[in-house]
Amino acid sequence: MGKLAFEEFTEGHPLPRTATWTVIAQDPSVRLDGAILTTRAQVPAEFLAAGPRGARFHVVDYDPATGTLEPQAELGEGDRFEGAGDGILTEDPVFRAQNVYATAARTLAAFESGLGRRLPWAFRGHQLYLVPRAFPEANAYYSGDEGAIYFGYEDSGDGGRKQACLSHDIVAHETTHAVLDGLRPRLVEPGLPDQAAFHEGFADIVALLSVFSIREVVERLLGPAHRRGRIPKDALSREVLSESALFVLAEEMGTGAGSARGSGLRRSVGLTADAHRLDDPAFSEPHRRGEILVAAVMQTLVSMWTARLEAITDAEGADRSRVAEEGMKAAEHLLRMMIRGLDYMPPVELEFADVVDSVLKADEVLAPDDAHGYRTALAEAFASFGIERPRREIVDLSGRPSPVYDRMNYEILRADTDEVFRFIWENAEVFEIDRRWRLHVDAVRPSVRVGPDGLVVAEVVADYLQTLELSAEEFAEYAGELPVGLDPKTPLQVFGGGVLIFDQFGRAKLHQTKPLTDWDRQLLRLRHLVDQGLRDSSGRIGFSLGLPRGQRFALMHVPDRRVEEDW
Amino acid sequence: MSPKSPEHGPTPERVGVRAHQVGFGDCFLVSFTYAAALEDDRSERHVMIDFGSTRWPKPHKGGYVEIAREIEKRTGGKLDVLVVTHRHKDHIGGFGDEVAAAIIEGLHPSLVIRSWTEDPKAAADAEGPAPPGKHSHNFAADLHSAQALAEQISSTIPPERRGLRGDLRDLAAHQLANVDAIKFLDKLSEQADPGGLYLYAGADSTIESLIPGVAVKVLGPPTVEQWPEVTGQRSDDPEYWIARRPALARMLATAVAKPEDLRTAADAVRTDPGSVRWLVEKMRDQQAHSLLRIVTTLEDALNNTSVILSFETGTRRLLFPGDAQIENWSYCLRSDETEELRKGLEDVDLYKVGHHGSRNASPRSLLAKWQGRTLPVTSMLSTLPGVHGKSEATAVPRKTLTDALAGLGPLFRTDALAEEQLFVEVGASTNETGPYEVLS
Repeated sequence: MGKLAFEEFTEGHPLPRTATWTVIAQDPSVRLDGAILTTRAQVPAEFLAAGPRGARFHVVDYDPATGTLEPQAELGEGDRFEGAGDGILTEDPVFRAQNVYATAARTLAAFESGLGRRLPWAFRGHQLYLVPRAFPEANAYYSGDEGAIYFGYEDSGDGGRKQACLSHDIVAHETTHAVLDGLRPRLVEPGLPDQAAFHEGFADIVALLSVFSIREVVERLLGPAHRRGRIPKDALSREVLSESALFVLAEEMGTGAGSARGSGLRRSVGLTADAHRLDDPAFSEPHRRGEILVAAVMQTLVSMWTARLEAITDAEGADRSRVAEEGMKAAEHLLRMMIRGLDYMPPVELEFADVVDSVLKADEVLAPDDAHGYRTALAEAFASFGIERPRREIVDLSGRPSPVYDRMNYEILRADTDEVFRFIWENAEVFEIDRRWRLHVDAVRPSVRVGPDGLVVAEVVADYLQTLELSAEEFAEYAGELPVGLDPKTPLQVFGGGVLIFDQFGRAKLHQTKPLTDWDRQLLRLRHLVDQGLRDSSGRIGFSLGLPRGQRFALMHVPDRRVEEDW
Repeated sequence: MSPKSPEHGPTPERVGVRAHQVGFGDCFLVSFTYAAALEDDRSERHVMIDFGSTRWPKPHKGGYVEIAREIEKRTGGKLDVLVVTHRHKDHIGGFGDEVAAAIIEGLHPSLVIRSWTEDPKAAADAEGPAPPGKHSHNFAADLHSAQALAEQISSTIPPERRGLRGDLRDLAAHQLANVDAIKFLDKLSEQADPGGLYLYAGADSTIESLIPGVAVKVLGPPTVEQWPEVTGQRSDDPEYWIARRPALARMLATAVAKPEDLRTAADAVRTDPGSVRWLVEKMRDQQAHSLLRIVTTLEDALNNTSVILSFETGTRRLLFPGDAQIENWSYCLRSDETEELRKGLEDVDLYKVGHHGSRNASPRSLLAKWQGRTLPVTSMLSTLPGVHGKSEATAVPRKTLTDALAGLGPLFRTDALAEEQLFVEVGASTNETGPYEVLS
């Protein structure tokens, strides 16, 4: 066991804030000079008990198929796997534990630093189990029921073994599911087509950008330099970089340990921009639809990367290590932008248009100037896939009648769901919220972020949800019509909700809102649920489908070959 | 579409298809009617495709025996071809019913067609003729061994267990070898003249020699040598699980046991009370889910042994795919070697809906061939809702599929039959195009 915190602390020598651990950079199948490509991941330092078990993760290496429970791994004082050989990297249970822990911690850290606060898990508990060898299947999934991520393995038949826990993108992908489920637990409920696609698409985005923000990965993808360490100018075009770096990376992710999960990433990168893609019935299935979101983000990455390269490119090209660094930085920055947008996204009724709106708005708040044109690049890339800011953008409350704060306590308002509810209740007209429908404030969370000017942006983010249960017949009275063939007696559940953003003074400044009474949207959602046959076991529509949460995520990873053929 | 003109022999002037009420199962009879009597004085030829059920509708009029009698009546006592698409109970269960089987035996089918995976020689003769070759023989043998795994799961979980473990038991039970039915079919194959045929994609069905003027193509299943994808990815291959039988047995024992019993078992994982033990015991459910996925791979593998046949006569083209899923279909639909085989698929005008209307047995790329054309497709769906799937997203039949089929032309469903109806029959002239008419 590591030293206890008080044993490490001596006056004048504060505890380290970060720890560095060797992890596999991509997947054991990706090699450089014949050896598995590794990197040293910097993650927040913490007291680590055996497992390792820190404040947020607990690795338990139990394989039910063999009945093997590995001893809880002691990581000790420092990284002992730097420069370790391939045999150790693929077979040593302690490295396996370190790899899965550090990769998950790196992913969580990206979210926490982007959002400027600690993030809760969806389950009651603080430590998410990571089980590196949970089943002999080529799959991995997050299960909110047990608060665990299960990673599978598959013997490849030639003595080798594909282990999902050693694949950087799979660990990042599954950790993202867990983080999103904590932040936005309602997104797995039956909703608009974009909502079902978002979980998987966003997890792929985080996985890809996480891997792309590792220097060793980008340098390997760029290949050797041509002359004097430089890459020729014609190899730095948007098209060539897409083809040589991004496409290859996505291809590798589709053939590594995650191959059984499909080649959604590979297809995403290959998707050509088409403003009507979202209307294509082939893209109504959630996995395929998620690919559009991934494709738009990847186009943005290429735009940002090539823009950054302009300053360092001359007639003879650019220095290879600088090209890699700029790619890595672009990925890091874009990942932060995407993560920051999460707080501004609606907790229910999410559409891709809200994603672009939230990401842009969150960035505008933090960096008003857009000096490098990143927001323009993102807006253009999304628009090329038909995703534009919605008609009903996030409401800037500054130009509106001011809410009444007279009966509020500012201190309590910053931390208490009941007080935020009282605030909404008092000011329902200002926020255009109908008091008739049940409203619940799910969470009130502080956020502290640092802008490019070095100044701190402090906010409080409050999520609320509105629900209404009614019959289809009653629905028709509000919406004016029903989907064809729907029995008027069918029980329905509709949602509304939003996010209130408070500034550092406790004043409400932004309102992301999906009104329950937007009957056009409700009709769109109902049509989609009816078309897809998404009913619960009692035939009701809009209610939870009754599958255990964990299995819902397991089903997201259907074999690739079926995605395009199933109904 | 250009009418098919056989080089010799008469062409049937009408074709009719009956879908019998077997609840969740399949039993079809395809009848070809000629303008004049053929050389044996009969003016019809009959092909029976499958005979099984896993769940009968409540209430229902007939069982296997009544349906066998109905077939006897319709065929006039002579069955020309018996096609058994694959060995699942919902396709062969009726052959295990002694009385019903005796009636079918009395129809003296001239030819009994099954998948290459059912060839009694397949499991024993690993070197076998090519095709199917060695890999195919191994695959067929693995399928049989995997059924033993299913037997183990089915018999370990007590009948009174409900919920997840009950679902696992029921799915495993569906994979069991239907020994009586298989024995009967083996006997029937031996008795038949010319006999039993075990087909693979592109093989000669020889049906044309028995039914003049009808061209039959075998579109699937491919052998492993023809199309390695038919076995799916590595962990979709029964072989993968056969090799892991001890591991699966352990997972099964753990999934079924009570946590307190696990702690005292001889090979129990020893852990102190606390968070590790909590998770280890909680993972019992996860193992049951894992086993459920594994049994599903066996279900898929058996579905993918389905014989896919297309019948072409005059202006008509009928497609009977059993329960084939994309791993089977993909050979015909995508392989560079099957351009000839898939020719004419776009002209299909009667489709027996695969796997009772499940979401994964009517490939979108297949239906896409029929969308946007003027010629309607008449679909026949033998199904019983409420047997599979907890919600409509996983339910059989899948609504999005049935909606798509209804958009292509008339859709006839056995679950829409009245209580007293034993079948729905449609028919059409082989000189015209257009939807099939209801005959009963």
